[in-house]
Amino acid sequence: MITLTVNGTQHQVDLEPDTPLLWAIRDAVGLTGTKFGCGIAQCGACTVHVNGQAMRSCSVPIGGLDGANVTTIEGLSPDSKHPVQAAWLAEDVPQCGWCQSGQIMAAVAFLKQNPAPTDADIDAGITNICRCGTYERLRRAIHRAADLMKA
Amino acid sequence: MKTKIFAAMLVVLGAVPLAQAQQTAPPADKGEYVARAGDCIACHSVVGGKPFAGGLKMGTPLGAIYSTNITPDPETGIGNYSLADFDRAVRGGVAKDGHNLYPAMPYPSYAKITDDDVRALYDFFMKQVPPVKQANKPSEIKGVMGIRWPLAIWNMLFMDKGVYVAKKDHDDAWNRGAYLVEGLEHCGACHTPRGLAFQEKGLDASSGAFLQGAELDAWSAPNLRGDLRTGLGGWSKDELASFLKTGHNDKAVAFGSMIDVLNNSTPYLSDDDVNAMAAYLKSLPATTQQAAYVYNDAATKELQSGKPQQPGAAVYLGNCVSCHGADGKGQAPFIPPLAGNPAVLDGIPSSLINLVLNSAEPLVVKGMPDAYRMPQYRVQLTDDEIAQALSFIRGAWGNDAPAVTSAQVKAMRPITDPSSDRVIVLKMR
Repeated sequence: MITLTVNGTQHQVDLEPDTPLLWAIRDAVGLTGTKFGCGIAQCGACTVHVNGQAMRSCSVPIGGLDGANVTTIEGLSPDSKHPVQAAWLAEDVPQCGWCQSGQIMAAVAFLKQNPAPTDADIDAGITNICRCGTYERLRRAIHRAADLMKA
Repeated sequence: MKTKIFAAMLVVLGAVPLAQAQQTAPPADKGEYVARAGDCIACHSVVGGKPFAGGLKMGTPLGAIYSTNITPDPETGIGNYSLADFDRAVRGGVAKDGHNLYPAMPYPSYAKITDDDVRALYDFFMKQVPPVKQANKPSEIKGVMGIRWPLAIWNMLFMDKGVYVAKKDHDDAWNRGAYLVEGLEHCGACHTPRGLAFQEKGLDASSGAFLQGAELDAWSAPNLRGDLRTGLGGWSKDELASFLKTGHNDKAVAFGSMIDVLNNSTPYLSDDDVNAMAAYLKSLPATTQQAAYVYNDAATKELQSGKPQQPGAAVYLGNCVSCHGADGKGQAPFIPPLAGNPAVLDGIPSSLINLVLNSAEPLVVKGMPDAYRMPQYRVQLTDDEIAQALSFIRGAWGNDAPAVTSAQVKAMRPITDPSSDRVIVLKMR
């Protein structure tokens, strides 16, 4: 039995220790905002925060996460008004939307470490893939979110 | 790709129900057990082919050769082999028709196999392996270099004749481990450096070169001796046994040709045998004096600052950190730590470059595919970025291995790309 705190609520998860965190979140905890993309930590659609760090949940076994604090897209803000979410709306970022919860979680963690990024910082630090190709809007939204968070 | 062979292997064993083949007990049939320990299938099968029907292309300095059909088909396989013929091939390196086998067949190691085990192996191949009619492919070694009798001289020079003799100053477990490591499992075929004539520089524990680590086929087979950083000196016997049993432990995860060993061989051995191998390996002294690895968190802090100073740290932050962690500790035992991992500290960076470019083949231990595999970065990352990231991890968290150059990555790219016309042919498995 592994104890995970997901978005502030404690869950006892009864799964094999090699189960990816993604499936613990989606199947055991029942939060489906976090998406499965590639399954090999390449695309970032499954990004969540583990103790504040952005991790690709499809490739993190829960065995090492006993007691960890996990934040998913559902827990980012009680009213969906996190500055990054606000910037996403303002820039109308999503196209199909599949990768977006991962993109947002990656951007939030990234901006915490780098509150005033350059375009080059974003390109190097956000490696999530968007198959609709919304990279220009993603970059604009991250800059906008940085400005919102400064204000 | 080995999954197919594994599945085919289960078909071969026809009489053995699937569920039974996947359970944890080692094979009950002694011959099958010996065949597992010798990992015959790794070379004598190809992906999508029939088990033990041969056909695997193997590179030699003189040209490619192909592994042979060792099913009991009388025309194309070894159906007409008597026990004596079989014995002469396995332990002596000479085929029934008298021609010398190329030492890609690890007969210098198999020479140590006991009479009992050879007989059991013979019975397994003759009675349990279904015959497959599939002609052997001729070797591509041309002209005068294709003449085989000089191999007899090679054998005189480089082969220690004789069955394994127990060392009286060691206990039974050590001797059993030595028998398996030096003999059946032929660990030295990859892990012992080779000389000019392609001979292993040492065949047993008496040689300091034995299992010292070697570069082969664009992989670096790590040092298995007691060296504290680049060898297994920092591993406990239990950690070693766990690695042989599952392909994982808290220090490392298997990659490269070791995948063949784990998919087909060591997990099928009894706990006693795996522990014996671990005990024997732990007894091999270090060849170089190294200070024990000590973790430090300077790189962790650099990564967590969000403003990485080293170019490789930025690449790491974008591509590696979500699995291997800012602390370099991975998610053991599933995702290997990079901090203090002997494969990361290896003086030769071939395996690391190969892994980043091409990833590792899936580990399928006893039918259970591994959940976490290294992805390929061949397309995403440039030579410079790969060199920078590898140089970073080789100097981070207390690691102290030499930097990797872009030229090294560039050289590795075409020879490990299956779609390239310059891809190297594996010499050994």
